Amino acid sequence: MTVPEGYTVCQYCRMAHPPAGPSCPSCGAALDIKRSVTRSGWVQQPPIKDLARIQFGQSRVQIEGKYVPVADFTLAEREWIYFSHHAVLWLDPGIRLSNTSLAGGWNRMLSGLPLIMVEAHGPGRIALSGDHAGELVALPLMPGRPMWTREHRFLTATGNVTYTWQNTGIWYTTGSGDDKETHYPLGQLGDLFTAQQTPGLLLLHSPGNTFLRDLAPGETIVVQPSALLYRDLSVQMHLHLEYPYGTPRFTWRSSFSQRNVWLRLIGPGRVAVASVFGHTSSHMITGNSWATVRRW
Amino acid sequence: MERIECEWCRLQNEPGATSCLSCGAPLDVRNLVTDSGWREAPRLRDLTEFRFSRSTVQVEGELVPVTEVALGQGDAVYFEHHVLLWKDEATPITAMPTGGGMKRILGGMPFVLTLAHGPGRVAFSRDSPGELVVLPLHPGMELDAREHAFLLASHTIGYSFVRIQGLANVLHGGNGMYLDRFVTTSAPGLLALHGYGNVLERYLRPGEKILVEPGAFLYKDAAVTMQAVQMPVKTGLLRRGMYLAEMTGPGRVGIQSMYVHHHAE
Repeated sequence: MTVPEGYTVCQYCRMAHPPAGPSCPSCGAALDIKRSVTRSGWVQQPPIKDLARIQFGQSRVQIEGKYVPVADFTLAEREWIYFSHHAVLWLDPGIRLSNTSLAGGWNRMLSGLPLIMVEAHGPGRIALSGDHAGELVALPLMPGRPMWTREHRFLTATGNVTYTWQNTGIWYTTGSGDDKETHYPLGQLGDLFTAQQTPGLLLLHSPGNTFLRDLAPGETIVVQPSALLYRDLSVQMHLHLEYPYGTPRFTWRSSFSQRNVWLRLIGPGRVAVASVFGHTSSHMITGNSWATVRRW
Repeated sequence: MERIECEWCRLQNEPGATSCLSCGAPLDVRNLVTDSGWREAPRLRDLTEFRFSRSTVQVEGELVPVTEVALGQGDAVYFEHHVLLWKDEATPITAMPTGGGMKRILGGMPFVLTLAHGPGRVAFSRDSPGELVVLPLHPGMELDAREHAFLLASHTIGYSFVRIQGLANVLHGGNGMYLDRFVTTSAPGLLALHGYGNVLERYLRPGEKILVEPGAFLYKDAAVTMQAVQMPVKTGLLRRGMYLAEMTGPGRVGIQSMYVHHHAE
């Protein structure tokens, strides 16, 4: 990416902007605080400051609150966003609501997004909330550079951002016969968002706190599968099974297995995780997608 | 020296005070008002103290705040029993009948409230991340709150409930069948609500309207009217309607950013 002279690049969203103001105009990240990096190399995504503004097109969004932040949009004429109807917090009577077309509805339904989404057209104001404690993460999207996000993290996107899904290919089974169960620790499908001719904005709701890191080519890290929030498409991933030392191969309870189910991420690229995640089954794994295995 | 007016409850505080004596709001930070005109409820600092009558209230914690009340002699607060966190063994409690028993049971509201009497200490928590909203009520005020939002009220505040008018409001409004109504007559009182998530307040001018997710409604002045209105969009495979609560001024409206999803019909 060519950075115009005098501009700085936001270390979180990687967009270039003039060096002014307390927060990034593209993603709202605070710029006037020290970058917080853990000893292990994770960069803490600073929560968007209360009342910070993010500009997109002729419109803007202001982030309000600390525990369950609200995204308060001021939409300009001919600009629009789409979202699930559950996310609406309030709106001005003048804003125009409509349903998205059914095109792409099958994709949405398969991946857990509503078949019929709602569009809000400017001019006017509308506010959305993720309705759970956590952070809002703003991802400005450049045209033609898709972003993979974990399912059910989507809050809203600008009208010029298209959506599709991708099989995660991450699964394992437990039990056998009629008790056989297939688990998708990362979800069965991941969401793919792409800005079309012009830059777009994607807002995610991240439960808990958010951390990100850049993986070098070939660099790996294992994370809780359901903690993954988003990743560059260049980052590869697969299942990683880890058995602690001393784990009995056979136990009195044959269905139980002491092991960790991880997601192994391989660079190059950017990955982000949330600090709130689900837990995996503790039953014996009877089959799985391609995985690396470590027995200590 | 010039006294400091609290921007939240308008009490005139002593010069040099850092938090309001009546509601605990920080006095050394400006009101946070969004571009769209919503005012954020003041974030009470950990261990902030404020007073009502002969009692003192202290707020502890920020994520799931605890409200601890040191009740003075002759003072009392009432509450729903499941918000009790701890109490001094010697603090007396009594039952407070609410009237309208069967209606309240049908509406899913508590039939009997609990009164804690001073002197003694008692602490409350709504058991979920959010903010404590302290609303000192001056004499002659009426305020409506969504059911199960109120944490405690001082005994000088009259308590009743109002049935939400209109079948559409009941079926689509997302606020149940009743609102809690708090009324002061000649004496002031203290009302504390728990807002889930963050709380925002806005003053509507006479006739001014705003559309609010019904589950996000937290409180309003009694003069503000609330009406469920259908939006021109459909949801889900069955193409069910989407309803929002149309609030019409004059008066205050408070909303919370974490809400129970209302059932779209």
